[in-house]
Amino acid sequence: MGHAAEGGGPSLSTAFRRARGGVVAASFHVVEVELLRSLVGQLLELVRDERADTKAGDVWAAELGLGDDAQSRPTDPVLLRLFPDAYREDDEAASDFRRFTERGLRDRKAASAATVLASLATADGAAASARSAKSREKLRIELDTDQAEAWLRTLTDLRLALGTRLGVAEDDEDDWLALDENDPRRHVHDVYDWLGWVQETLVRTLSAAME
Amino acid sequence: MTAPVEIERPEAAEVPQADVPWVTVVWNDPVNLMSYVTYVFQTYFAYPKVKAEKLMLDVHEKGKAIVSSGTREEMERDVEAMHSYGLWATLQKAGDRV
Repeated sequence: MGHAAEGGGPSLSTAFRRARGGVVAASFHVVEVELLRSLVGQLLELVRDERADTKAGDVWAAELGLGDDAQSRPTDPVLLRLFPDAYREDDEAASDFRRFTERGLRDRKAASAATVLASLATADGAAASARSAKSREKLRIELDTDQAEAWLRTLTDLRLALGTRLGVAEDDEDDWLALDENDPRRHVHDVYDWLGWVQETLVRTLSAAME
Repeated sequence: MTAPVEIERPEAAEVPQADVPWVTVVWNDPVNLMSYVTYVFQTYFAYPKVKAEKLMLDVHEKGKAIVSSGTREEMERDVEAMHSYGLWATLQKAGDRV
């Protein structure tokens, strides 16, 4: 399993904490909010676009009613990780499961992503009306229980997508740190780490509330 | 690594029984946080924290763990839920090689 970056993470934001009224809250720098908005927007496109992974011929077949391309096994490793096979040694059962569940799973992942975007927009609105320039740079994100759950799921989906694209492996932190500063993969991995740190503070806050 | 872990009642994780025909298996992956996997087991299965942590550690250290058992339909529901949380899960007949 993965580990959250130690020592607070490469972050301008503050950790999620319990706030009044049964909510959790954190503060994000406006740059981090923009980054998150962009990533979640891409995730939303990925899970909504059921033809993103199919070839032109398949699209034709689907339009003619000949194919069921939306529920065929993805070839994109990110989609295959987000929607894995439910049966390891029975392709037919795996295909049936996909046909019955994938649309619903895509809808739920899209709904969670949309909830995250909405909470960022709410924070934007509050910051825009702040008086000082400094208050406009720091956005306070407040989440109720349902929103926090949506954040957890979406942060997971983002990390699965980035981690799969990067080829993250168990206990490989040192390899990423050894990459050249200018290597674009290093920057993407920093983002991956930061998402893990944000998620860790959110999970810890919610777990503490369960006890 | 996240919270310190106590393993006082390992028998609590022994879910499968002879009379239940299907099981849900969660597999280790390099991305999901240990704290999150524990949280999912507590939240979705309503397992006590000790049991959730034991199962999480089994996934982490042994590469997989049986997290629930029941009818095939129930296990398909559990696998679908695990996928919605981003965990890598499969189902199979109880007794088949995991």
